Amino acid sequence: MPISALMALAYAAFAIFVIVVASKWVKWSTMPMHLRWELYPVPHEAGRHHYGGSYIEEIDYWKKPRETTLVGELKDMFSEMLFIKRVYQYKRPLWWLTYPFHAGIYLILVWFFLLFVHGILSVYVSIPALATIVYYLIQICGTIGIIAATIGCIGLIVRRFSDKDMGKYTVGVEMFNLFFILIVLLTGIATWITYDPHFQHAMEFMKALVAFNAAYMPKLTEIAKVHVVLLCLLWIYIPFTKMSHFIGKYFTFHKVLWEDEPNIKGGEIEAKVRELTKFPMPWSAPHVDTGKSWEENVRESPKDEWGRWRY
Amino acid sequence: MKKEIRVEDAASPVDQLIKLTVKDLEKLPPPYDKPGMEPELTDPKPEWREKYATDLDGYIAIDLPWKPQNKEEEERLIKSFLSGLNKLLTKEGNWTFLQPLLLSLEYCAKCQTCSNACPIYIMSGKQEVYKPTWRAEVLRRIWKKYCTPAGKIFGKFVAGDIELNAKTLLRLAESAYRCTLCRRCTQTCPIGVDNGLISHEIRKLFSQEMGIAPKALHDLGTVQQLKVGSSTGLTPDGVRDIIEFIEDDIEEKLGKRIKIPVDEKGAEILLIHNAGEFLSWPENPAAFAILFEEAGISWTLSSEQVAYDAVNYGVWYDDLQLARVAAKHAEIANKLEVEKIVVGECGHAHKAITVVADRVLHDDIWIPRESCMPILWDIVKKQKINFDPEKNNFPVTLHDPCNMVRLMGVVEPQRKILRKLCPQFREMEPHGVYNYCCGGGSGFAIMTSMNFPEWRNAIASRMKFKQTLEAFKDCLDPSINKYLCAPCSNCKGQIRDMLAYYKAPERLSIYYGGLVELMVNAMVDLEEPFIEWEFH
Repeated sequence: MPISALMALAYAAFAIFVIVVASKWVKWSTMPMHLRWELYPVPHEAGRHHYGGSYIEEIDYWKKPRETTLVGELKDMFSEMLFIKRVYQYKRPLWWLTYPFHAGIYLILVWFFLLFVHGILSVYVSIPALATIVYYLIQICGTIGIIAATIGCIGLIVRRFSDKDMGKYTVGVEMFNLFFILIVLLTGIATWITYDPHFQHAMEFMKALVAFNAAYMPKLTEIAKVHVVLLCLLWIYIPFTKMSHFIGKYFTFHKVLWEDEPNIKGGEIEAKVRELTKFPMPWSAPHVDTGKSWEENVRESPKDEWGRWRY
Repeated sequence: MKKEIRVEDAASPVDQLIKLTVKDLEKLPPPYDKPGMEPELTDPKPEWREKYATDLDGYIAIDLPWKPQNKEEEERLIKSFLSGLNKLLTKEGNWTFLQPLLLSLEYCAKCQTCSNACPIYIMSGKQEVYKPTWRAEVLRRIWKKYCTPAGKIFGKFVAGDIELNAKTLLRLAESAYRCTLCRRCTQTCPIGVDNGLISHEIRKLFSQEMGIAPKALHDLGTVQQLKVGSSTGLTPDGVRDIIEFIEDDIEEKLGKRIKIPVDEKGAEILLIHNAGEFLSWPENPAAFAILFEEAGISWTLSSEQVAYDAVNYGVWYDDLQLARVAAKHAEIANKLEVEKIVVGECGHAHKAITVVADRVLHDDIWIPRESCMPILWDIVKKQKINFDPEKNNFPVTLHDPCNMVRLMGVVEPQRKILRKLCPQFREMEPHGVYNYCCGGGSGFAIMTSMNFPEWRNAIASRMKFKQTLEAFKDCLDPSINKYLCAPCSNCKGQIRDMLAYYKAPERLSIYYGGLVELMVNAMVDLEEPFIEWEFH
């Protein structure tokens, strides 16, 4: 049986999400190497992270092997990703709202994954014991996730209106984003309460998706259809907005604030520097020789026709 | 004047967006909690308003008469700004910081978690225009509105409310000089957004596109350094004379003459001081010379233009100037055939040549560079010199230069020395990588034009003064000499101004100095104390 329109929308939403996220990843990861701009503490500094030290505390550090710890970096990364540590440390009242919101979303993502596993187990591989465990996990993650995310989302909206420090800086699209998420969550709650209290139909929907077969599709109520459509639109929309900060966050920390790789003679970084300094200088201030390369500008300050400094 | 400031007020037609008074500011601890203990804040001179940017808070950091005088000049300014902004967003124009800048413009959640990390915002009594996000949001809105498809199509809905006029630009540029680039705010951001970097990039746009920067940083700073040899104006002949004078001074104190090596080819280390040390605190290079000679280190100073001044003001406002100065340092070091450059007690010079300029040096302008701190600790740890900590038996606290600590991770060597050689050493709170800026960071310490020093001392330095008072709260009695150790020339300059502003030497006997002075003061071989407890 061919796929239904809703299934097609779900496939499209997922595909667009993946493609746009991947293209953003490519965009950020192919940007030119920047100057070093690390910020301490850098968590991969073995034995020094606890006080914020770096390998530069060593005499002749460039001659010595660098001691780094992946565990330190993962610890810092996960405590930020999973617990939003910095908001907890530095802005606790906001954390009580943003944490349920983000944790709720994480649980909803886990819920999607569990639905997918359940779909595979229903269509392709039969492991009844595992299917039972997954079934109960779906109940737990779905229930806690949607409640936590909704409470957090409402809290964040109220906070944006009531906290003038945040409100003054919030632009229209940022409120729209929060309301968009809230509507998706509320239609989800309505669907869950009125139509699908045990996520049975959600499981059937996913089964249809993994089987590429509309025959498995449950008969959806109007509110369920609205929810699915809005949810798909949200999936499509997120990567185009700063709600995709999960991508940005990787680069801000790993490629800027924790990026402390030294430029060692004869190394890869030196080769990159050689290339990057070939770029022509577009700037127009008097102390710049516009059009000449960075390298030429660095080596030779601009002079007038009599060889005097031009500025 | 408006009380409640919003981002869009950057374009407001009022003469001055905020006016500060002492009573608005965060209170200081005793004895500065009483009225009359600090000077009142003044208004800018009326004639300054015509040509200088007094439009933000009445203070002038950019001491150039760049205020547009008519509509045509305003349009030209806006056009140049937008042209610069576009260049800032290209890899040709800004490969140096494109990725960090775009990440910070794109992903700020406006959660304001960073605000309370900023000592200027807090100590100013939470003035909106000093909030780390205020200037960043002004730039972000302009960027969205003029440089992104979404902003162009959806306008205010996406970009927010912002009007681009001369006032906006005057305030944006000035506000970039109300941030010391200490990046304490960035430490707190859950997304890693860097509002300090945005200040840096605003400064850079104005400098690289329009040549607009404080004279102390550009004309008298990097330009003078490249032309004459030093941002202080010190020439090669001048530095050689001062070195001779230092040798005489050492002989007087140590009882034996030390020949300070200058331009010695093949030495292991080229030691570069901030040239301000030669002029304002010659005891600092003297102390280095004593320690290095007594410890048997192979080293030299340079008397060649640029290489006797470690400063690199480019790191605060202009990538090209940063690269030019760093390249010159490396070129001269290679000519001297030394193994490495070691930077003396100068925080920004540490960061500039060791970290930030690390990725502009290559081939013949590449050379290893390191901080003096590990070498100094090595002298103490390996007992290369005999020290007697009892000679330093007075209260000592440490100011952590942001550039050395938070921005390059050199944290422990200096405090290990202090723990070993100063029995009454006590930390400021917070300290290490979570320290507060002295208030002179990012060039402020050397910016002395017009009314800027008043702002710097009363606002930017206020948190450091508070921390200092708290560190010495058990010994505020003026009969006890107290030593605020600041292993950085610019921090010392600012701390000198701060202590003088609050009359702390005469009221509380709080003095300041570097780290090496304390080390030499503790040397067993020295008969008379090296530290003279004079305020200068």
